[in-house]
Amino acid sequence: MTEVEGNIKLEGEKSIEELCSNHWEPLYRYVYYKVQNREEAEDITQETFIKTISYMQRHNARIEQFESFLRTVSLNVIRDRWRKRNRRGNVVNLDDVNPGMAAIEDHSEGTLQREMIQNALSKLNEDQRTCIELRILKGYSVAETARQMGRNEGNVRVLQFRALQRLSKIIKSEDIY
Amino acid sequence: MDRKVRKLSDYIDQLNAERRPVEHGSSKESPEMEELFETVRMVRSLREPVMPEGDFAGRLAAAVSSSLSRERSRKSSKKKWFYGIATAAAAAALIIAFNTVGPFVEPNMVQAMDQAFQQVGAYHGILEVVETNAEGESITQTKVEVWADKDGRYYVKGLEGWQKGLVTVNDGEKKWQIQPDEKEVELFSAFPDPYSFTFEIGKEIENVKNAVRTRILGNETVAGRETVVMEVTPQGGSPYKIWIDKETKMPLQKQSEMDYAIQYTVRYAEINFSKSIPDGLLAFSLPEGYKKVDNNLEHFVSSLEEARDLAGFVPRLPEELPDGYVQDSIAVMEKSKIVKINYTVKNKEKVSVLQKEATENFKPSSMAILGKVNGNTAEIQSPIQNNEAGILQGGGVYAGVTDISSIRWQQDGFEYAVFGNVSLDNLAAFAEELSGGPVEIPEPEKEAQNEPQVKVPVDLEIEKAEQKNVDAGHSPWMLDPAFVAQVFVSLEMSPGGIQGDYPIDYEELSIIENDGVRAIVEVHSDESPIKRVYLERLVRQDETGIWTVVGYDPAN
Repeated sequence: MTEVEGNIKLEGEKSIEELCSNHWEPLYRYVYYKVQNREEAEDITQETFIKTISYMQRHNARIEQFESFLRTVSLNVIRDRWRKRNRRGNVVNLDDVNPGMAAIEDHSEGTLQREMIQNALSKLNEDQRTCIELRILKGYSVAETARQMGRNEGNVRVLQFRALQRLSKIIKSEDIY
Repeated sequence: MDRKVRKLSDYIDQLNAERRPVEHGSSKESPEMEELFETVRMVRSLREPVMPEGDFAGRLAAAVSSSLSRERSRKSSKKKWFYGIATAAAAAALIIAFNTVGPFVEPNMVQAMDQAFQQVGAYHGILEVVETNAEGESITQTKVEVWADKDGRYYVKGLEGWQKGLVTVNDGEKKWQIQPDEKEVELFSAFPDPYSFTFEIGKEIENVKNAVRTRILGNETVAGRETVVMEVTPQGGSPYKIWIDKETKMPLQKQSEMDYAIQYTVRYAEINFSKSIPDGLLAFSLPEGYKKVDNNLEHFVSSLEEARDLAGFVPRLPEELPDGYVQDSIAVMEKSKIVKINYTVKNKEKVSVLQKEATENFKPSSMAILGKVNGNTAEIQSPIQNNEAGILQGGGVYAGVTDISSIRWQQDGFEYAVFGNVSLDNLAAFAEELSGGPVEIPEPEKEAQNEPQVKVPVDLEIEKAEQKNVDAGHSPWMLDPAFVAQVFVSLEMSPGGIQGDYPIDYEELSIIENDGVRAIVEVHSDESPIKRVYLERLVRQDETGIWTVVGYDPAN
């Protein structure tokens, strides 16, 4: 494998290991950010590497901006899996991948989104905010959340539903998306 | 509302368990739920990601290398495999040539199967599903013990594979499943039943009777029984083979074509016939230490007055019942205030009428044919493919049950749906008697009645390949004309490909015509360069056929 300022060319079997070892983590984090669960993030990371390396082997290709390339392929894999594919989208066409597009969602935009979500959370009433914090940010079960909030489980489910409806509206009104 | 609340909560639980939620592979969620799921993911993105356990980089490299080497070996063995098939095909061709003169149908064998099944009361067997790859390696996926009778009752117990230990029973009045891992017994409605079991003999014989073509390929021994091998070509589908027991005239084995390097064989390793299923197997009992989970939300009542008191309105009845039908029972779904009146004929054909006060605007499913009931727009689905909207949403699980059709409409402030395992004509007769007016179900015209201003060239070979993909379970969105139109318009707006969200929302599209073969989708967006999209089912003209854009009207 040769690597010059993010441009990568595959040379030999051994470099698959090197490639995976050097680049899995940023890709995994990016995919996890999208799908929010480990099982799917691991699968999509793997599928993305398979598609990309297979493409590099077939075309003896040098890939510019390798990590952005991986991110764009992963977005296509997610879309493919979530059944929202473009018309000829059964096979990700790597010739059409434009790494520049994936770079759009860069770090600064991620930071902006975090601020926007935190801001939206602060606009919920106290019960709603506590419920979302316990259920989603701390990952408690409905039963645990109900115990902590002194409510029954049905109430917690309805409370989280209404809180998320409200959050969704606030986020939309922020007009970031 | 309840269903949505629980669904959202389950979605959060799945993410918290770091598992892939089923909704991520689902063909379609309502836009409202999709928005809520997205909001959950956004909030959750404030957390640090949970990283893989152990040496993920090592596992990843091993998986990638192994997948790539499998890909290489598949390519190199493709030719050999092709010759193997070619030899088998040549042998089959010889048998066919020996057996046939001209176009071949096998009325005698089909009739013999049908007559033999008429004599059967029930059957008991061990059913196994075997998966074979392109290299000829086979593994048994599942093995189940089956008891079934002709009235649709059954008892199925998983012996091996993912169903191991599960017991599923439908006694005609209710359905239940015993789940040893969860120590739960779940209760469901007996009808409609979205899942019975694979290779149910009555259904198989029906499929053979409805096939476009059948032909005898030869004789073989299966599980020690002498059989006749028949190739069956279903309407619009790939041919498959069945093995019919020479003595009993019953199907013993079924095999799909090798598709995407996988072939499935379903066979009765043992089978015997009897008058009925033993009573004990169809008797409900809660094993000790198990919890009962009742998913059957219907509250049966004995009179219309009782239904009125629970639902808050007087249910409407058909003026006259179509021939042979009798009213079977009345139920109320209390939370959704839906009244369900069940009708039956000969205990096999079942029709239910759902009604409730209309609380939202009528929006037909984009996959439905559009017709009229007493002058009102009606959603017609045969079979039901989408019951996410309106009154059907509260009525149970119907989508994916291949023999259930429905007609849904609103009238005088109420919403109605008539559904059942009967023909659309029978349902239309109910809808007519219920609405007091005519029912119009559009028949596909031979020629398109509305021509697009701009025609889109179509490559039929590509469409056939797409259809094959969809048949194999990929891209199910191509069965929905609104999705196909959404992708088409989006690609017109972003010819370089779609990154992120589609520029046109699914909600900005409405179906203005759909006769099952041709559809017109209207785009309600100021930004869209297209006003109307014209689609046709070019490859197959039934609910399994993909939609193709054949033209459009520009916005200006």
